[in-house]
Amino acid sequence: MTVPVTWQDVAALLPEFFLVVWASALLLLDVFWIREKRTTAWLSALGFVVALVLAVGQMGRAPLLAFRGMVIADAFSVFLVALFALSGLVGILLAQDYLARNGIERGEFYVLLMFSVVGMMLMARVADLVMIFLALELFSLPLYVMTGFARPRADSEEAALKYFLLGAFASGFMAFGIALVYGATSTTSLPHMVDVIQAGEADLALLTAGAALVLTGLGFKIATVPFHMWTPDVYHGAPSPVSGFMAATAKMAGFAALLRLFVLVFPVVADLTPVLWALAALSMVLGNVAAIAQRNIKRLLAYSSIAHAGYMLSAAVAFADPHLGPQAVAAILFYLVAYVLATFGAWGVVILLERRIGQEGLLLEDYAGLSRQYPGLAAAMAVFMLSFIGVPPTLGFFGKFYLFRVVLDAGFVGLALIGVLTSLVSAYYYLRVVMLMYMKPGEPIVRREPRVQATVLAAAALTLFLGLTAASSLYAWATEAILRFG
Amino acid sequence: MVPTSFYIFLAALLFTIGAVAVLVRRNTLIIYMAVELMLNSANLAFVAFARQFGDISGQLFVFFVITIAAAEVAVGLALIVTIFHTKHSVDIDAMHELKG
Amino acid sequence: MSGILEFVTHPLNAVTFFPLVGVVAILLLAREKETLIRWVALGTSLITFVISLGVLGLFNPQDPGLQLVYDRPWFTVAGWTIRYVMGVDGLSILLLLLTTLLTPIAILSTWTAIQERVKEFMIFFLLLEIGMVGVFLALDLFLFYIFWEFTLVPMYFLIGMWGGPRRMYAAIKFFLYTMAGSILMLLAIVWLGLHYGTFSVPDILAQGPVMGPVQYWLFLAFAAAFAIKVPMWPLHSWLPDAHVEAPTAGSVILAGVLLKMGTYGFLRFNMSLFPDAAKYYAPWVALLAVIGIVYGAIVSFPQRDVKKLVAYSSVSHLGFVMLGLFAFTPQGIEGAILQMINHGISTGALFLIVGMIYERRHTRDLDAFGGLWKVMPVYAVLSLITALSSMGLPGLNGFVGEFNILLGALGSRVLGSYWFAGFAALGVILAAVYMLTMYQKVFLGPLDKEENKCLQDLNWREVVTLLPLIVLMFWIGLYPKPFFALMHPAVEHLLQAVLK
Repeated sequence: MTVPVTWQDVAALLPEFFLVVWASALLLLDVFWIREKRTTAWLSALGFVVALVLAVGQMGRAPLLAFRGMVIADAFSVFLVALFALSGLVGILLAQDYLARNGIERGEFYVLLMFSVVGMMLMARVADLVMIFLALELFSLPLYVMTGFARPRADSEEAALKYFLLGAFASGFMAFGIALVYGATSTTSLPHMVDVIQAGEADLALLTAGAALVLTGLGFKIATVPFHMWTPDVYHGAPSPVSGFMAATAKMAGFAALLRLFVLVFPVVADLTPVLWALAALSMVLGNVAAIAQRNIKRLLAYSSIAHAGYMLSAAVAFADPHLGPQAVAAILFYLVAYVLATFGAWGVVILLERRIGQEGLLLEDYAGLSRQYPGLAAAMAVFMLSFIGVPPTLGFFGKFYLFRVVLDAGFVGLALIGVLTSLVSAYYYLRVVMLMYMKPGEPIVRREPRVQATVLAAAALTLFLGLTAASSLYAWATEAILRFG
Repeated sequence: MVPTSFYIFLAALLFTIGAVAVLVRRNTLIIYMAVELMLNSANLAFVAFARQFGDISGQLFVFFVITIAAAEVAVGLALIVTIFHTKHSVDIDAMHELKG
Repeated sequence: MSGILEFVTHPLNAVTFFPLVGVVAILLLAREKETLIRWVALGTSLITFVISLGVLGLFNPQDPGLQLVYDRPWFTVAGWTIRYVMGVDGLSILLLLLTTLLTPIAILSTWTAIQERVKEFMIFFLLLEIGMVGVFLALDLFLFYIFWEFTLVPMYFLIGMWGGPRRMYAAIKFFLYTMAGSILMLLAIVWLGLHYGTFSVPDILAQGPVMGPVQYWLFLAFAAAFAIKVPMWPLHSWLPDAHVEAPTAGSVILAGVLLKMGTYGFLRFNMSLFPDAAKYYAPWVALLAVIGIVYGAIVSFPQRDVKKLVAYSSVSHLGFVMLGLFAFTPQGIEGAILQMINHGISTGALFLIVGMIYERRHTRDLDAFGGLWKVMPVYAVLSLITALSSMGLPGLNGFVGEFNILLGALGSRVLGSYWFAGFAALGVILAAVYMLTMYQKVFLGPLDKEENKCLQDLNWREVVTLLPLIVLMFWIGLYPKPFFALMHPAVEHLLQAVLK
């Protein structure tokens, strides 16, 4: 029996198809023809630009199930695929100079990054349990390798191993959870599953157990407490561009699958609401409190990313409410945009100040006096920190505003209170970075790397002005990114 | 015929053994073997359910899991070998470069 | 394009965002051209002041309602239309003028005091002005919150970058304290948005207040933000730190305008949005206000640092304002609004005076001075007028405000007790004690310190800085009628709505 692949199937996954072909070709080219590794970097960046254009071309189309119901191209996935393509581009812009100057530039880095991005894109596209597992592994495996890319540096290797072991552990939860969900609903296809659940034919106890295990597996990927233990070590040990890339994109990918599963398929397991509530609250509290004690900027950003996972998860707590579900999705997507911009920007600054890989320039004290010698860079970093806190008029403020709106609308006043109070805690450590840059004398040493600098400044400008000028269109776009199956 | 629930209990037992072993063992190789046990317990559950439903997609999933597990082994063992070169140990307690 | 033109030509938008022109101009200037940067900043703030006078010209004092309203849909979020609503009425017009007046004065006071990073200083200062003016004009809760929270950022930098030895501690304390209150207000604002489907204050008022116990919680959430800002006892502990460490111009603005944002918030939002809760909590607010009056006065007395003394006196003076507001009588509220202006003028002037001597001697310790009358006669006279104004001597501005507040509190049915006014009057007496003691220690007595003997008297720039404030002290003290006329219809209107 042959399985026909129609043009429609290919069209639904055009950005991913293009990236896979491009990355495979690049792998060969890199081995046999390309002398300068920089060329590989530019070619892969070009690939992301094309993928971005293709993703933008998919906007506004009707939702389309493709590959016999394996994947779906709906507005939600197109929104995220475009974001992933952009993130891949930024990831390469941040990484190239860093890898070259530290002598660890190898062509396969860019290819791995591309494959990882394809995996993340597929996470947004899943319409079948098989795809979730495949996409999860496709984006995770390259990340393990990229984390260890600074070998033989012990901290990088160690981070890779830790990430790998906990990632594999999480896959175990995912696989078993998926098995239980399959057992509860007798299908792996998500659209069918929705029908089965609505018809009341699903085994609810088994489904709840399966959903909880899947939540655990995804919890590792988005780094919520208590599945966060790897995050500080991995972000600390990995080369900084990889940490920044992971912090921004892996979280997006995890949330993509989490939202699709919980908002679209699992509203029936409302029993898990308290669990999500607790995960969100714990992440906000522990992430922010632990960040206070950090002296290393990479670890500080790692804990802060845990806290932000908590904020986003707090809106996802409303998943079981059919009216609020779409609003929660929109609010989380909006927050993700704000978070990704500030995260890339902040890690860009980290990259510029890191003198040699993993050494010098990573302590908070190394940021002292930055505003005198590099006012633009310091101002950009200050904007990112203020956006992380949620101070108007940065994009982060609008993000938190929409999140808390959903949380309050769902009636979780306690969770909203925890959210705002932990924001206050976070102001303390984010402002310490600002304080060091602006109010302490120092002689910081900063790399002159125009591409990274341009990325940082662009992220800062967007963070500052998108909120005031385009918050509504961005939100409208996020609102239209509705999860649909057909 | 053995009822499906027996298989599921066995699978859950294997899964628990695997998860606990990951948390308590210190040798990275053993930890990885425990992860494999978790994955295979999922496979067992899949096959059992697939037989109950008379549905092929569950069994298909098993092939994917096996393939992915193989890919994971490739990456994982490579990482373990590299770290053995640097540290001459695969014990998790030897990993102490990264402390806050 | 025509939309932008329509936006910026509206007087309220113009007065709010004109400082942005100066910010952009300064950004484009090289940081070495410090004098030019100072002139640009001063010029920008003066033009802003002129625009605000234009707003006053367009303002009709007889109209009790909102005027010059600029109301456009800003953006829509999932069923919410967030509006951009600006407007001015008798409650805010004077505060607008105070802000635009104090900003150029504060900039003038930095002419020689700020020598480091002048460019950044002026940028932050003008940004701060945008935030402050916006707070007084915004009539959409969302817009208000943006301005409100935004003022934190430039003030944080002003204290932290140009402040005294413990500036970083003071800056972060200021930020965290204020943010602690305002995040509770944010939740309340979101709740109101969900309840009413709009953030526009006129629309919310048209729909009537929230009923039931929720109103009391909302009142408390808003009150948390405003009470910290005022600051009311016992939430005042950030204020002495912030004042002591802030540069002179920062202190002037902090005392002169930022604290008024808190009292204005009570007046504009707490009283009209939550009338039942406001009346219910009025005696408690008044109690805290009276404690603040007496506590501030008593703690001022033993201070040796002049700035700390003035900071604690602010706690006392703002207590008067809160007492007047929550008396719910026309006299009390009008006195309170006038007292907000008075405090901005007198305390602003006091901080300028402290800054002038600090620039000469680099100390603010009371014991380091004495007999300055002999070497700096102009300075001594101006200081005397300011001190007398601050303690409420009849004929000067402070008296008019405090007297009206005390009368209002005495006649208040909502408070229902004479004790509040009685204890507050005690505060007036204590104010005379600490102010005169300070004056005596600095200016009278023998000129026995070697360092003080060759101090220069004020130069023309410093006199010009102080003169507008001195003129206002006499004007309000001798002929306050035009000021009351501006606010009277609006206050009556507010009280009618609240007390019905």
